[in-house]
Amino acid sequence: MTEEFEPRIVAFLCKWCSSAGSDLAGVSRLEYPPNVVPIQVMCSGSISPLYIFSAFNKGADGVLVSGCHPGDCHYTKGNYYARRRLNLVKKLLEYIGLEPERFQMSWVSAAEGQKYTQVIKQFVEELKPLGPQTKLRRNG
Amino acid sequence: MAKIEELREEARRLLRDGKVKYIIGYGTGRDGWRAVPIFIRQPEEADRLIWNPTCVHNLSRFLADEKRRQAREKKPDRRPVGIVVKGCDSRAIVVLLQEKFIRRDDLVVLGVSCEKTGVIDEDKLTDKLKGKKPEKIEFGDQGEFIVAAGNEKIAVSAGELLAERCRECRANFPVIYDFLTGEKSPRPVERPFGSIERMEALSSEERWAFWKNELEKCIRCYACRSVCPMCYCDECVVDSISLAVTADTTAEEKAQKIKWVQKSPEISENFVYHLVRAIHLGGRCIDCGECERACPLEIPLRFLNKKLEKEAKELFGYEVGFDVSQPPLISCFRDDDPGDFIR
Amino acid sequence: MIQGILSGNPMHKILNKTVFSKWVKELRSSKIYFPRKDDSGRWNYAQITPDEDAILDVSQTTLPPKKILFPQREIFLEFSKNIEGDGETLEVKEVMPEDGSTIIFGVRPCEGRAAWLLDKVFAGDFSDPYYWKRRNQTTLIGLACSIPPSENCFCLSVEGSPHSEEGLDILLTDLGEKYYVKVLTEKGEKLVEAAKKLFSDPHPEETKKAQAVQAESEKRLRRHLQEARLISEKLKGMFHSSLWDEESMSCIRCGICTYLCPSCHCFDISDEVDAVSPLRGKRVRTWDTCQFPDFTMHSSGHNPRPDKASRLRQRLFHKFQYFVEIYNQFQCVGCGRCISLCPVGIDIIEVLDKVRSHGS
Repeated sequence: MTEEFEPRIVAFLCKWCSSAGSDLAGVSRLEYPPNVVPIQVMCSGSISPLYIFSAFNKGADGVLVSGCHPGDCHYTKGNYYARRRLNLVKKLLEYIGLEPERFQMSWVSAAEGQKYTQVIKQFVEELKPLGPQTKLRRNG
Repeated sequence: MAKIEELREEARRLLRDGKVKYIIGYGTGRDGWRAVPIFIRQPEEADRLIWNPTCVHNLSRFLADEKRRQAREKKPDRRPVGIVVKGCDSRAIVVLLQEKFIRRDDLVVLGVSCEKTGVIDEDKLTDKLKGKKPEKIEFGDQGEFIVAAGNEKIAVSAGELLAERCRECRANFPVIYDFLTGEKSPRPVERPFGSIERMEALSSEERWAFWKNELEKCIRCYACRSVCPMCYCDECVVDSISLAVTADTTAEEKAQKIKWVQKSPEISENFVYHLVRAIHLGGRCIDCGECERACPLEIPLRFLNKKLEKEAKELFGYEVGFDVSQPPLISCFRDDDPGDFIR
Repeated sequence: MIQGILSGNPMHKILNKTVFSKWVKELRSSKIYFPRKDDSGRWNYAQITPDEDAILDVSQTTLPPKKILFPQREIFLEFSKNIEGDGETLEVKEVMPEDGSTIIFGVRPCEGRAAWLLDKVFAGDFSDPYYWKRRNQTTLIGLACSIPPSENCFCLSVEGSPHSEEGLDILLTDLGEKYYVKVLTEKGEKLVEAAKKLFSDPHPEETKKAQAVQAESEKRLRRHLQEARLISEKLKGMFHSSLWDEESMSCIRCGICTYLCPSCHCFDISDEVDAVSPLRGKRVRTWDTCQFPDFTMHSSGHNPRPDKASRLRQRLFHKFQYFVEIYNQFQCVGCGRCISLCPVGIDIIEVLDKVRSHGS
């Protein structure tokens, strides 16, 4: 029996909403795939595109950025900047031929533990058929 | 047609009256026909200024040097600097002003209009001349190029020699200037992003194969970065030098130092460098094409850096490099920015 | 180890172009490189497959053979920490260049000369084992330049020539339908021996013709740097000259001139860490250039060459003064790449002409 490919996802979660949402999922004992490496950031607006390219460079199969819903950002506007900036990142990555499913963005609030698990489940399901990410990965 | 005598007279006047420290313009290089950047300080030197289809450089690149020079001097000369710009170059100045990297008072912008033509692509010229050595290239009166080579002069239609970026140019005359020579002739471009659209029409795998093939050639000479007016950071992502290494620095500390990109020209590292540069130019690249021209391995960097100029327009209605009062692309947003890619 | 020069006179042979490919096929070598035109129209040295019909027809390559002799990235050693029970062991493994011979065809005499100069640098007080392993396994087959490969060639002015022999193992001169083959070293002799039936002895007219072609090629050079030795002397007094500020105004401080120079060899050594826990990585050598601002950055933050003027001066001094002082040779071989490829048209000959006439 061959081992099924388990994608490794790096998830940048904003502290005030998405990271709290992921905590809620945990506390509520909701099951979701263990493929995520969570990195807490203060705000989705503080994500530099460099982090995303670097995650792929280090071998991430998928990268997720998750923040507060528009209008709910703890810092008022951070997620609006993220929405614009990360749209550009997504377009650029698709343009160079990286599979579009590999970079995702979501709005998950602190109360949406259930949504968080759904986002992760869906992401893992979409990544499995794609196999490991080899295009941007550094050969160590 | 833009008149070099008008430009020279203006330059002479500015230098004679001490209104500018020096003027950055185009002069003839040692080989007698190619333009090179020159820096003139005396009014007599104004005669060295030229304007012809080999004036490809984006001289606003040198504004960052001026800033660094002033930072180093104890008593800097704070007079403005004169700079000769084409339409595309002037858009770079607009971006630098938007970002408040330079002040409007520090510049005297001497604009030159390309009218219905533009500058040449040297490879196309070499192909056309088939081994003959060029002696002089000039603008003709009807929007053609007059090429003197091997004892004869021929008129060549602009279409044959025009640089690719000129075919997609949206600013054939300067959008900002203190002085202008040449007509502000309208020149509508049917497909301003035609080259990008052709790339987008390829499949994902075809695009990947294209970029992998091209970026494998990269030797990380950083000419693309060095020639770009917008790449003015004192410490670039790839330079990461801010860890002081002493004899006591442990291997762990060195290993954990944040190094975003390795120095080696491996394909994965080349991708990080070029992707980061492209994203840092998002909403700032004005497609002067210099990165591609400077690249010794002829990597088609225009296709990469211009992509986000197209996205800025299509996603956010943002025109790069026309309106000084506009904030930089990624430091503003609209309430209705597209968000359908977000779950 | 400097390559073994043939004892006795160099061997002279004739090889018909019709059997040139046959010779190449006889050379059962790990890697054979030929200059080849890529899809963007640029020439570069590329490995050929054993079945490929290779033709010697060159313009100047963008990257010189330096990229094969002294690769842009070279692994020195690999290290890893292994956790065993309570303890950790550190394993360090040296990585030498692979075994296996390499042959580079179509090397220009200036590039051969550059290899000869690099040999001096890497031999010196400390013999670089990585460089020499590779160098000793590589045979350079030169092709005399019957026409200048570049409009900016000036090899004669720096004591080279379109048919110089330093650094090469064989020199081919194109006689139209055949090559005049001058075998210079034992390594070269081995390659001719591998297919000796294809080679014949030259007739006196053929030898004369080869000499005529070579003499003619010298006249075809379009650029010259007058009195290079005098310039070298004059540079000594010009360290603090304002000339460097003026000439470097348009420099954009990229790495083109140095990376593409056949004899530039500055490098950086860094650790590439692949995994942090447990620690695993490599120590690599990569090309570096004196033209990058952080090349001379000290860990204190002080930079003795903070401006473009000092870096341009450094490059010219290194090529035309320091190297002359140490090795009594110009480090510049006159290939003209830095002139052809500088994005802002800085011309090393023009700058040095100004040095020569400075103050007079």
